[in-house]
Amino acid sequence: MEIKNYNELTSLEIDTLREIGSIGTGNAASALSVMLGRNVRITLPEVRIMGYNEAIEWIGGPEAITAGVMVRISGQMTGIMLAVQSLEFINLALRSMLSEEIHDYDELQDLERSALVEIGNIMISTFINALTGLADISVDLTVPSLSVDMQGAILTVPMAEYGGQSDYLMTIGGNFMCDNQVVPCRLLLSPDVRSLNFLLRKLGVLE
Amino acid sequence: MMNQAPQKLTVGIADMKMLQWDGELITFALGSCIGICLYDPNVKLAALIHIMLPINMEAGRKNTMKYADTGIRETIRQMEARGARKARLTAKIAGGAKMFEIAGGGNLGNIGQRNIESVRMNLRREGIRIVSENVGGTVARTLSFFPATGQGQIRAYGQPLIVL
Repeated sequence: MEIKNYNELTSLEIDTLREIGSIGTGNAASALSVMLGRNVRITLPEVRIMGYNEAIEWIGGPEAITAGVMVRISGQMTGIMLAVQSLEFINLALRSMLSEEIHDYDELQDLERSALVEIGNIMISTFINALTGLADISVDLTVPSLSVDMQGAILTVPMAEYGGQSDYLMTIGGNFMCDNQVVPCRLLLSPDVRSLNFLLRKLGVLE
Repeated sequence: MMNQAPQKLTVGIADMKMLQWDGELITFALGSCIGICLYDPNVKLAALIHIMLPINMEAGRKNTMKYADTGIRETIRQMEARGARKARLTAKIAGGAKMFEIAGGGNLGNIGQRNIESVRMNLRREGIRIVSENVGGTVARTLSFFPATGQGQIRAYGQPLIVL
């Protein structure tokens, strides 16, 4: 049966989405591993369906500053994908790519920013490629965009985009481990409700 | 009556809270969302709404505070029930930023701008004057509103404090 809201998903459907998250994030980790020349693995991927204010608490409070790379998905599926990069993750990337580190987000100049956009873009594209291959669908991605600001405001971007359809935010995604240390960088996919139905039907779990 | 410490109330997303006489209303990390401060100076009643979208088109229109139109209307109703007069109300607004610059992103980046226009239009329709605003741009804002003075305060990353 078609779902009308994210909170109507059955446990089988959520398991399927978690599997998608696992494969997508796993592929992104491999790409990251090649880019950084380090061993990168993923933590247990999550599917979350959260109220707005719950989602803000989950990401770690509204006001903490973070770097977010966003790509918009269109075509057979509509959605937003975010790569939310912590300072720790940023330094891991900058050390490998530019041999430098920063102490605060305000030290990010054009060169560093474009490195972060690139790394976020590769991770997002790899995730989406795995998903579209698995479900046999095709999508278009916009050019990636970076925002360095309060993470609450970054997370409200997918909320506002689908706020007319739902009081919930659904995210599929996971965290990364580099050389056995958790390096916070979340990959979050937020599809709209119609695309979620389409995806589940394509994967054969929607009756 | 015992003196109590001034209250500090947090207004969530798609939420509204009121305070009278003193204390602080605060809402965090307004991106494309807008914080609307409504104030009746005679009775020092302050309301802060955190809306996310411009127009309520939901069936049943349950979640009033998520939208500019129903949020403003319902807040005025609740303020009047607590002794405020609509003719005395003034408004201060903040938010409506564009967090991401997306080429060819359709209306995605414009939610902030649409929110600003809807808030202005709905306030004008209710006959409420906007006495101060800090909207648009590309940065997130945390907004505080003080019932004692009717003053607002905005914090944004990497910027000095702004008085609204």
